[in-house]
Amino acid sequence: MKRKKKAGPNYNIYGWIFISLAFLLYIIFTIYPAIDSLLLAFQSFEGGKYTFVGLKNFKRMFGDAIFLKSLGNTFLYMVIQVPIMLLFALIIATLLNSKFLKFKGFFRTSVFLPCVTSLVAYSIIFKMLFSLDGLLNQVLIKLGILDAPYQYLQDSTWARAVIIIAMIWRWTGYNVIFYLSAMQNIPKETFEAAKVDGANAVQTFFKITIPQLKPIVLLTTIMSTNGTLQLFDETMNITQGGPANATITVSHYIYNQSFVYAPNFGYASAISYMVVFIMIILAIIQFTVAGKED
Amino acid sequence: MHNKEYRIFKKVLLHIALLIVVLISIFPFIWMLTGATNKSVDVTNGALHFGKSLGENWANLQSSANVFLVFLNSMKITLIYTFVSILICSMAGYGFEKYRSKGKNIVYSLFLFSMMIPFSAQMIPLFKMASKANMLNSHTAVILPTLAMPFLVFFFRQSFQSYPTELIEAARIDGANEFTIFFRLVMAPMKSTFAAGAIYAFMKQWNNYLWPLIVIQTNEKKTFTLLLSSLASAYYVDYGQLMLAIVLATIPIIIVFLTMQKQFVEGIVGSSK
Amino acid sequence: MKKKLAVILMSSILAVSSLVGCGNTPASESGTENANTSAAEANTSSDAKTITVWAWVDNFNVAVMKEAAEVYKKTNPDANINVDVVSLSKEDVYVKLQTALAGGGSGLPDIVLLEDYVSGKYLNTFPGSFADLTDSFDYSQFLDFKVDAVTVDGKTYAVPFDTGATALYYREDILEQAGYKEEDMQDLTWDEFIEIGKDVTEKTGTPMIVEIANNKTTLVRAMMQSCGLWYYDQNGDINITNNEALKAAFETILKMKEAGILYEAESTEGRAAALNNGQVASVVNAPWFISSIKQAEDQSGLWRAVRIPRFSNISSSVNASNVGGSSWYVLESSANKDEAIKFLQGVWQGNTDFYDTILLNQGAMGSYIPAYSTAAYDAEDEFFGGEKINALFAEILPDVVPVNFGGYVAEANDAITTALADLFAGKTDVDGALAEADAQLRNQLGR
Repeated sequence: MKRKKKAGPNYNIYGWIFISLAFLLYIIFTIYPAIDSLLLAFQSFEGGKYTFVGLKNFKRMFGDAIFLKSLGNTFLYMVIQVPIMLLFALIIATLLNSKFLKFKGFFRTSVFLPCVTSLVAYSIIFKMLFSLDGLLNQVLIKLGILDAPYQYLQDSTWARAVIIIAMIWRWTGYNVIFYLSAMQNIPKETFEAAKVDGANAVQTFFKITIPQLKPIVLLTTIMSTNGTLQLFDETMNITQGGPANATITVSHYIYNQSFVYAPNFGYASAISYMVVFIMIILAIIQFTVAGKED
Repeated sequence: MHNKEYRIFKKVLLHIALLIVVLISIFPFIWMLTGATNKSVDVTNGALHFGKSLGENWANLQSSANVFLVFLNSMKITLIYTFVSILICSMAGYGFEKYRSKGKNIVYSLFLFSMMIPFSAQMIPLFKMASKANMLNSHTAVILPTLAMPFLVFFFRQSFQSYPTELIEAARIDGANEFTIFFRLVMAPMKSTFAAGAIYAFMKQWNNYLWPLIVIQTNEKKTFTLLLSSLASAYYVDYGQLMLAIVLATIPIIIVFLTMQKQFVEGIVGSSK
Repeated sequence: MKKKLAVILMSSILAVSSLVGCGNTPASESGTENANTSAAEANTSSDAKTITVWAWVDNFNVAVMKEAAEVYKKTNPDANINVDVVSLSKEDVYVKLQTALAGGGSGLPDIVLLEDYVSGKYLNTFPGSFADLTDSFDYSQFLDFKVDAVTVDGKTYAVPFDTGATALYYREDILEQAGYKEEDMQDLTWDEFIEIGKDVTEKTGTPMIVEIANNKTTLVRAMMQSCGLWYYDQNGDINITNNEALKAAFETILKMKEAGILYEAESTEGRAAALNNGQVASVVNAPWFISSIKQAEDQSGLWRAVRIPRFSNISSSVNASNVGGSSWYVLESSANKDEAIKFLQGVWQGNTDFYDTILLNQGAMGSYIPAYSTAAYDAEDEFFGGEKINALFAEILPDVVPVNFGGYVAEANDAITTALADLFAGKTDVDGALAEADAQLRNQLGR
């Protein structure tokens, strides 16, 4: 707020100029379509025509067992997967940032690689890994842990676990990038000062690294929450939402309502805005929690 | 002496821990690479050795599509997109962070808000716009709608927080104009931030699927993700050919990442000086 | 300093403006002849008209349509058209088509390939979007059940293409190990099949039949249509709880599981691997599935194909059925509608040589009846021990009973898949599973 005083009215206009290009594109390509699709949420698409149906689409959601299931699944993924992944990412980023590390380039590239895998490749690999005569079953049988191969993707708990494992595998390295780039913006002197004060690695991690990274941690949390709420690729490609819709997500259901079933764009749009509403609430909670710690 | 041994032990432990992470990370890549050289049957059997069918897979792939053209299309779209979006979003992030005002904060909240609207909800209106503007089947239509990425604006704004405002004010006193300050003074030391942003934008566009699918109409304009999708969903999938296509689709991102890595490293050197 | 800044600004403005610029002239940007197909309306002035076709499998229907274009050019040298066959995945075709139709109708192709299962959905949801071809073709020359599938209210909207005539593909060598000969496999009932399966699985250790764990609807659909029944009755009303064929299908598949003869593959990849590795003895599927089986070159001569089993307790059940199949539609809004119809007439009606070519090259079995009596149907297939496999399908096809697919097959498949998963997990019995599927489907369709 202090800065605002220093930046006079003259500078204020420069600020707007910096923002203008992005803002213009944003109004045309985001705000306008968003409003258009919000209107769609109050309409129904039948026989090639849109008709206004009021709140019918929103009411339908509460009696729609698959929608409620998809919402529950999405939250489950979010609550379990996001914290595990971000913690892994923080630890790996700290290790990669160690000045003792040799072959930095090799390690960084390797850790980053999973998130560049094409979705097609990644889903095929995970399906094969957990298949009836897949690698996991073979190893477990050899170790004597299992007597007979287990059908992971036929068991609703395991199928969800597979989705979570797949997501952790794919997106941890991605978050490492952001943590690493932020860690490199922390002046070296800060770490050295801590060392002089006799802090060990764990203390440094919690006392210096984490607080310094707070904005970026908040960023990745919101990004991952967002990503999970829009989760679609993994369930579509690995489990097709099965068994018995045990792994289906909200986005997957929106896709089904729009493109797999007889097109129901109004209902799909209403669900989308329900997701937006939930995300806003979550974002407010995240910002508040982050703000309180100050 | 004891202290030295302890430090060596710590170093070894560090490398072992990371090696385990690396092994888990790159396993599928080894599988992909070997898959590209094997026959479809061997790929589905999970073969992890190199085979002799690379030439055959390549021939099959070329008969399925004009791979070079598809590759060039994707490359062109992604490079233009990355450059322009980084420019636009970093400027916006800078504007929001260093020229704070009430009006801008409202606009900024709008940006954050839109991050939450699923793309599928905007697709039909966007398609209508593209068709009204007579832009269907153009690469421009693929690039334009997502240039102003809320996430990148957010990311840049967060990152510019660490750039000391005092330096900007000092430059103003020296008489530098606002754009000079941004392009000359601010950009240079923030290399690792720009590198991370560029990687994000590059990956986002290179793997972009749903929107190109909707707007691209002909084989001549197709992108790599569309090719992969059609290869992967045939009645009979040729996994050898598919793996080769996947390898080709992955190489550019790895190259970009390796290139950007230099910027990361320079970031460290810069801050230790 | 200022110069550099100016350069950066200029170049960024250039970059943006060049983007905008190339958007306005998409056709001139690329010199290729097909670049301007999307703006079909805009290029009426150019001499050759381009007919855009959307299809979804490179080595199958895409290749077939490319062949059709070649044939048409040869037989109609005066017709000044180019045919651009765009290959997408099947799901992608639906996404594009639905977006374009809902978005006001531009950006559509001239011809599109659709599965017969989705026919009702598109014709009902987007009335008037597809050209009425009733008077453009002599539909008595095409298979009845194929024509039925693309006919709504007495109007026929598509040219039937391939069929999903089902066969039971099995490993002759594995069955022989258990003491079964080829004649033992003819015209079975499902009960007989399960008995043989138990014997084979016990003696050879190889499970008798494979199906995909999370989606067993291929078997369900094959069994159901063999009785002339479907998820919907002739009026399009949901027919699940009192559907004896569906009930028998559930019971039969459950019996297979309990007898230990069912190999549940986790995915399509898993199914291909199980077959190619010789881990299962048989599979029920359509003609196009042969290309997957043939991937295991070392199994040449070991496979056989026969008619699928029938239900002994349902009188209408026959040893013939169908899964899938697709047809060509012309878009009503197409600027080249007449040319597109002429093109389809010129190749898909009357030209049996063309049907022979696509049968031999792509394994595509059309729905055009006069083509079934050609020499191509006498070809012996070494992979199937010299069996005349095309003749088998030609013999099965007339026995397939037409059913009304209705507009909501995907919804029904999902409901059935969910119910079957619960049935397999022991959470409910057959009647309970049927009731569950019925409830889910009614909820989805708002009935």
